[in-house]
Amino acid sequence: MKRALLFVALSLSLLPAGCAIVPQNRRGKLADPLLSFDEDPLEAHKKSKFYSTREGAAGGDGAPAGGGCGCQ
Amino acid sequence: MKQLFCSLLALALCATQARADDSLSDEAILGTRGGFRIESMRLRFTHFDQEGHGYQSQADRPSPSSPGSEWLQVEQPQLEVVAQQGKFTHRLWVPIDVVSAASPDALDAVSTASRTNEAASFDLSSTYHANPVTDVTLRAAFHLEEPFRSWTLGVAGSRSFADGNTTIAASLNQVFDWLDRFNLFGTRLGRRYRSSTNANLSVTQLLSPTTVGYLGYGVTVQIGELSNTWNAVPLDSGELGLEVLPGLRHRHAFVGRIAQALPWKAVLKGFYRFYVDNWGILAHTLEAQLYQRLGRQFYLRANYRFHVQTAASFFSLSAPAADGALRTADSDLAAFDAQTVGILAGLDLKFVRRLQGLHLDVGYERYFRTNDLRVNIYTCSAGFRF
Repeated sequence: MKRALLFVALSLSLLPAGCAIVPQNRRGKLADPLLSFDEDPLEAHKKSKFYSTREGAAGGDGAPAGGGCGCQ
Repeated sequence: MKQLFCSLLALALCATQARADDSLSDEAILGTRGGFRIESMRLRFTHFDQEGHGYQSQADRPSPSSPGSEWLQVEQPQLEVVAQQGKFTHRLWVPIDVVSAASPDALDAVSTASRTNEAASFDLSSTYHANPVTDVTLRAAFHLEEPFRSWTLGVAGSRSFADGNTTIAASLNQVFDWLDRFNLFGTRLGRRYRSSTNANLSVTQLLSPTTVGYLGYGVTVQIGELSNTWNAVPLDSGELGLEVLPGLRHRHAFVGRIAQALPWKAVLKGFYRFYVDNWGILAHTLEAQLYQRLGRQFYLRANYRFHVQTAASFFSLSAPAADGALRTADSDLAAFDAQTVGILAGLDLKFVRRLQGLHLDVGYERYFRTNDLRVNIYTCSAGFRF
């Protein structure tokens, strides 16, 4: 649990550094869909179900960890 | 004569311009206000081919102290349809799993009467775009599987700040499962229930004109029957016993992501995840994806993932035979390292006849881990934007 708290503290400390404004006219490269974190939802499902049914530590980041499948 | 020809030409041009203006009416550009319109459709098909051995499996097991087969094949077609209706976006998603395995469920593990098991979900979500920076989503889903049923309800919201530089998102999901419990000989012992409550919070931040960062935290609390109810455990008496898991599990996942555009028309994505739960499992996962554009429409993706986890505190390959003692020999709850390597080729064609966009991709991944499990994954997809 100490490691978890350390991770959260480190993450929060990075937030202020990331608040620099990127103006609209400098976001040309950010418009590339490949740069998006929202990957193809069908591929995301393929991936999350594959790992959540094979690794006891999978899931829990954005979707329930376990539950919703007979294989859990 | 020349003047007459010029006048006619000018009239023809005006008429052409008028027709062009007609086709660019507000409705043509923005769609019918409040009308229902299918926006996109995607299909994906994935084939999983798994081999290996695990102590939880009763299939092809020479003795109680030896692991059973984890041979398995899955065909997974998925369909997604997205529609717009005014300020709403509706999404219908139907994933299907056809599992062929040595022991895909409790009865087959003993009788081998049927070595296939089918599962399907119907998942409907609606997103309300309250304003350009705020979205609210409601989701309902039903999962059908032998001998298992599941219902999911979810609510999510996101809001952008600082001219879209920062997006904060939160979601809450409740999954309710009911399933049949069996003993090792395939006899049904009645119905059991499981509840999974999940909450997530994330921040996406533009870090530079070429960099995006993401931080997320998710917690899941599960209560009820948390085993699949037919997993076997080798006992110190030399026999096999049934898996006994705690009735409560708290799971915490912390995620960091970064996406960086590279100068040679490439994108590098990094992912780190830290996981901890009250069963004693602690895990680290690292993943990197490199996308390379080859022309305007074609790209390649290479990916590598490394996962390491500790075992659950009650994991044992020779568990005490005493009744009620917590025990599992499930290879998924053991200590292991796992790696995934993969490659994918994608093609995005714009303005194909009668379509605004057509996406095609085909990919292959290999998953292998230190406790005898290997999986080949083949996938292909087609997406249509209308």
